[in-house]
Amino acid sequence: MTWTKKTKQTVILLAFAFPALLFYAVFVLAPAFGGVGYSMTDWNGLNPAYSRVGFANYVEALTDDSYFIDAILFTLKYVVCMVVLQNAIAIGLAVLIESRRRTKSLFRTIFFMPNMISLIIGGFMWLFIFTKVLPDIAAHTGLRFLDQSWIGDPTYSFIAILILSLWGGVGYLMVIYVAALQGIPSHLKESAAIDGANAWQSFRYVTLPMIYPAVTIGIFLTLNSSFKVFEAVYSLTGGGPGRATQVIALNIFEEAFANSNRYGYASAKAIILFLIVMLITVVQLRVMKNREVEA
Amino acid sequence: MKKASYLVLVLAMLLSVLSACSSGNKNNNGDPSNEASPGASSAEPSKSAEPASQEPAKQVKLKVFLTLPRFKDQFDAYFEQFKAKELKEKNIDVTIDLEMPNSDQAKQILQTRLASNDAPDVFAIHANDIPAYYDAGYLEDLSSQPAVGKLFDSVKQTVAYDGKVPALPLESLSWGYLYNKKIFADNGITPPQTLDEMKAATEKLKAAGIPAFELAFQESWVPQLMTALSLGGIVNSQQTDWIDRMNKGEGSYADVSGIFDIIDLINANGSAKPFEVSSAAGATDFANGKAAMWVQGPWMAESIQKANPSMEFGVAPLPVSNDPKGTMINLSSSTSIAVSPTSKNKDVAFDLLNYLLDDQASSAFFEELKFNPISSIHTYKSFPWVDEAMTYVSQGKAYQDLKLPNGVTDEQAKLLQGYYTKKVTKEQFIKDMDKTWANAIKAAAGGK
Amino acid sequence: MILGKGGRAGSVVIVLFLGIAAVFTLFPIYMGLLNSLKTEGDMLNGILSIPSRLEFGNYADAFRKIHYWRSLGNTAEVAAIGLAGIILFASMAGYKLSRSTGRLSNAIFLVFVLSMLIPFHSIMITLTRISRSLDVQGSTWGLGFIYIGLGVSFAIFLYHGFVKSIPRELDEAAVIDGCGDFRLFFVVIFPLLLPVTATTAILNLLWMWNDFLLPLLMLTNSKSYTLLISTNMLFGEYGNNDWSAILASLVLAMLPVIVFYLLLQKYILHGIAEGAVKG
Repeated sequence: MTWTKKTKQTVILLAFAFPALLFYAVFVLAPAFGGVGYSMTDWNGLNPAYSRVGFANYVEALTDDSYFIDAILFTLKYVVCMVVLQNAIAIGLAVLIESRRRTKSLFRTIFFMPNMISLIIGGFMWLFIFTKVLPDIAAHTGLRFLDQSWIGDPTYSFIAILILSLWGGVGYLMVIYVAALQGIPSHLKESAAIDGANAWQSFRYVTLPMIYPAVTIGIFLTLNSSFKVFEAVYSLTGGGPGRATQVIALNIFEEAFANSNRYGYASAKAIILFLIVMLITVVQLRVMKNREVEA
Repeated sequence: MKKASYLVLVLAMLLSVLSACSSGNKNNNGDPSNEASPGASSAEPSKSAEPASQEPAKQVKLKVFLTLPRFKDQFDAYFEQFKAKELKEKNIDVTIDLEMPNSDQAKQILQTRLASNDAPDVFAIHANDIPAYYDAGYLEDLSSQPAVGKLFDSVKQTVAYDGKVPALPLESLSWGYLYNKKIFADNGITPPQTLDEMKAATEKLKAAGIPAFELAFQESWVPQLMTALSLGGIVNSQQTDWIDRMNKGEGSYADVSGIFDIIDLINANGSAKPFEVSSAAGATDFANGKAAMWVQGPWMAESIQKANPSMEFGVAPLPVSNDPKGTMINLSSSTSIAVSPTSKNKDVAFDLLNYLLDDQASSAFFEELKFNPISSIHTYKSFPWVDEAMTYVSQGKAYQDLKLPNGVTDEQAKLLQGYYTKKVTKEQFIKDMDKTWANAIKAAAGGK
Repeated sequence: MILGKGGRAGSVVIVLFLGIAAVFTLFPIYMGLLNSLKTEGDMLNGILSIPSRLEFGNYADAFRKIHYWRSLGNTAEVAAIGLAGIILFASMAGYKLSRSTGRLSNAIFLVFVLSMLIPFHSIMITLTRISRSLDVQGSTWGLGFIYIGLGVSFAIFLYHGFVKSIPRELDEAAVIDGCGDFRLFFVVIFPLLLPVTATTAILNLLWMWNDFLLPLLMLTNSKSYTLLISTNMLFGEYGNNDWSAILASLVLAMLPVIVFYLLLQKYILHGIAEGAVKG
């Protein structure tokens, strides 16, 4: 039997894609579908046997689990703060360092550096700052507001988590914004300057509209990453005190691996997280498409 | 040249994929050997290669899973002694694959292994988890083992379940709270026996400018000790059928809301910023007289004396109400050793277990770890804080640690952290704990 | 230039502002480094002050406690296996999927791209179970394999886009020369993919090197701990107590990435911008 050209093409296509598909199917697709299946069981880590419970886990998570609801609300609060602050600071830094000539690359190197360090390592270092260095500074300088229970008081630990996340994340967005700024034709700014625009006007009416696509990217990158936030909270507060700073990912992690080992129930929560992230992405694609049409 | 190197790369990748598949198959067939150490698999060839002057030693490999990583050196050394003995007496050459993960994660790792039929031959559990694990079929009954026969009866009770002894306790505890003897003496305080006396003591300490209680709440198991003691005292003096009623779904934490009296007193008179203090930092603070009392067990003795060798501390029962009868010492076991029913080398596993209470070696080992004696073979002089606790025990002022369902203590721990920050109210605590307890009962019943 | 001619004063304000931000950024790293060189007593006397004498004992201690070379080797091994697999498999698949136009090829590509939506936390529970039954849990090579599975889709996406910029005529010419498909790819195409390979390598290397949760779940044996897991375990043991040893271990743990960053900064920043815009 001789192969037609088309069959041969298909075989070659599959041969090229097979290794990637294999690893991908085993370590991503199978767990994803398996997770959906397990989310409808009462499987726990201790007993090998389990039975199907339908959507009971989902109902429990969304109606009867105040910790999970609290975790979602806390994560939302975190996401809103991060989206606004991280992008605003990143744009600000990008604009400022782009205005420098000689010190530009030095500042860029410094601001991006935390992004290279794992948030676990960074988190432990900030823990040292919050629990040891700041009280020490407060004692020596009289800046009493620095001497807070940064880790133990939920209000302040939220700020501490934000500071750590911004420290680790701003540099990444800044690099994106710098790239976008460099794409702005210089004649636009020059003509704005000739028209007598001041710095703010030039930024508001020339720069900002030109980097809108990058802003869209930046907002959705932040949305995506901050809904999944885990390490910043894990290393700094561990979700505590109690569950005051518990985020969605940490709630799932604890449900599955720490206390109750309710794998089935934790899987249901994991699927809910997936649905949230997917919703954001769908919105993102919509928005991006609309912008493209406008442009 | 380039072509060749690409080919090698591709081949290497494919080969590694194939080898992964084959090793996966092997283990699915139930081969328990661990490829990390090839000692066991090479047993056959080495047997034939040995000179025939003496019957070759039988090779056996044990997977051992323990907590308490701070004692790794001591356990390593003790297991070496065991290996020598086993080789000499039974001609068995034992290889021990010892794992001692951080205690935070040990339970998680162990449970995933047990659930996936990958149980270690010998492993450590907390005595409080015995019922759940035994019901799930993960623990071998040890009643007939010589080591269990050597245990003090009072210790044996702490690990007995359903007429069986499914685990051998290593750490047996008689504990309450710790107090700084010097601070107590300086301020004319003797260990209070009622809640009002405790209040008076905290007032005195406040006047002297010393925080009454060390609070080290970073790790949630430390605040949880407050419920272990207050619940134990209240239940054993006022509500002896409370656990039964809870298990039947008829009880509530509202019935024992008296536990909050002492908890509120401790929280209100504690050291500052408790969530920034780990148990280790707490030991250092307490050892250096930063607070007069600490709701902690004498298992911290080693850390405390390391931080300040001249520190003298005592152990006293925690008052929970104005009825001095409720002021009792908690008797419990924590780290306990179990044998897996699925072990392929159960005999050697039993030998290892029994060696933990070996007539010759065990006493020095337990003394070195600063553990309490658990058997008459332990002949070392007991520590002063143990003697102090024992004076209460001999007056009958003691009770066996409550057996709570799996997951309940963890939840109490979390809620107590929240309770301190006022994020969790008393009512919420009661409601959440009732729910957690009910869920735990449901989960345990579902598995049977 | 964006801010126009703010004049000398404006310029000073900007530099001052950037300087403060830079101090803030470097502050934790500096404090960590500074105090890792002090004895415990020195630290208590003044956290902010310069050490009275350099104490390297903390580093010797940390070196031993986190098994530095072993942990570093494990991390490198995981990253190397993951990286080799991702680049090889993703470039092959990305190239062929980009060149083929059939419905099958589109469907496969779509499957890869769609999965980029799945948060890791949504699959981690079942992933631990599957890994255990395949016996890839617990070892460094097993972890590397999992990274291949998790990393290929984004890499395929990058390759897929880049291949479009390579003229098809090249393929055709090679085929006329009698080149087989695999030879064509490895000899002619793969070298041309170098820019996107560099981007892919940098992004994936950083991700695997700094990833925490997956190794935490997978590496159950302390002999195969990566740098991050060793450090985390050390922290778990010593908690908030013995800071000088902890800080030394933190400095040691971040040393490799910092060196890597300072050496290859240009490529890294370029790769980050590339990857982000494409993603």
